[in-house]
Amino acid sequence: MRARGAGLHTLVGAYVMDAVSDADRASFERHLLTCEQCRTDVRGLREAAARLAEAAAVSPRPELREQTMQAAARTRQQPPLVVSQKRQFLAGRQWRHASRSARAGARPWLARVALTAVVLLAITATVFGLHLSSMQGRLSAAEQRDTAIATVLGAHDATTLTAKVTTGGRATVVMSHGEGALVFIASGLTRLPAAQAYELWLMSPTGATPVGMLPPARRGMSGPMVVNSLSTGEKLAMTVEPATGARQPTSAPVVLVALGS
Amino acid sequence: MAGGDRSDGTPQGRPAGELRRDGLELVLAEVAKGDHAAFRLVYDKAAPAVLGIVRRVLRDPAQSEEVMQEVLLEIWRTAARFDPSTGSAAAWIMTVAHRRAVDRVRSEQRASERELRAATASIAYDEVSDAALTSLEHQRVRHCLDGLTDLQRESVTLAYYGGYSYREVAQLLGVAVGTVKTRMRDGLIRLRDCLGVE
Repeated sequence: MRARGAGLHTLVGAYVMDAVSDADRASFERHLLTCEQCRTDVRGLREAAARLAEAAAVSPRPELREQTMQAAARTRQQPPLVVSQKRQFLAGRQWRHASRSARAGARPWLARVALTAVVLLAITATVFGLHLSSMQGRLSAAEQRDTAIATVLGAHDATTLTAKVTTGGRATVVMSHGEGALVFIASGLTRLPAAQAYELWLMSPTGATPVGMLPPARRGMSGPMVVNSLSTGEKLAMTVEPATGARQPTSAPVVLVALGS
Repeated sequence: MAGGDRSDGTPQGRPAGELRRDGLELVLAEVAKGDHAAFRLVYDKAAPAVLGIVRRVLRDPAQSEEVMQEVLLEIWRTAARFDPSTGSAAAWIMTVAHRRAVDRVRSEQRASERELRAATASIAYDEVSDAALTSLEHQRVRHCLDGLTDLQRESVTLAYYGGYSYREVAQLLGVAVGTVKTRMRDGLIRLRDCLGVE
């Protein structure tokens, strides 16, 4: 990806106009995480593309309006994405709060969460440390993820779920319904050939939404990954996919975690 | 949002270009709280452009209406996820709309049918020309499209209005894939600068 960065940058126009393959989209979106200039370009070019759509405007048949309103009345809305809103409040305050509660030992589940938090933090620090030193521009994405992790782990309703991965290894999920987010980490996963990777999905009755590709394991640990668009009743699934990612799962999940409600 | 709950409902004659100038972002924030009247307002403002772009890509009128409704429902469902720092509400809605139209094309139309579409690809741009005459906003977009080089304009309109991938556009225009990627980017940049969007 590093070497391909400049090549990916020219993809911005095609990306904004959805003129890319799934694999191109996945590569470009990973590139976006670390390329602030690209995010700025995407923003501006999307506005321009929207004008093209508006120039094509036609009036819908009047009866469609009421049909759409009725459909909306039957459709549950998703909760907001908490991470981006919370970013500014999170100057470590929640952290101190979480560890204080844990030390008090008032509630065993809190202690358990705190333990997981410590483990995850240690891993996070290692993973980020390695990445940060090697790649400029990674910082803001890493910081963002760090903050997101802190938000979930510091949440009052954070719960830990673990599950066996059918092909080997163990998945741990720390989730907060209040924050609508979770942190995923896996250990001891079976090593995949270079052309394949683990991909995470949110499964709902209406289908699977891709969450992202699990980065390659370091010291037996994969992740942490933050998933921050949870709805009630969803399950987190992991499948083995082509390394470039898939838009829909192409194989059976190797782990499936019900997120409860 | 009481003002949004108009029962006459028909959005006829509302130039879609007004979208970003009257606070759709604020209306979306109300939609996120489950305000149906606010959603009606979003529908009235966005549905014509959504239907327009979806129909341009899909061609089939009935299917386009269906996808338009799906898009509006997705806006209702995910309004709380809209982040104004990533762009205007109009851009967000049109991104959802275009993506969904293209997804529909890609999942349904396989090789043989796509070849057929390729034969009629030139229509995409001609239709824009017609639509461009209907309002000041449309004329501005048309004017800016005219300011692109032929290759930029064809790359942009085939991708955006035609729903073609850059590889397909390269094949249709008989130019290298890398050239098309660059023209798409440069064309959109020139369009952005000409339209004066931030």
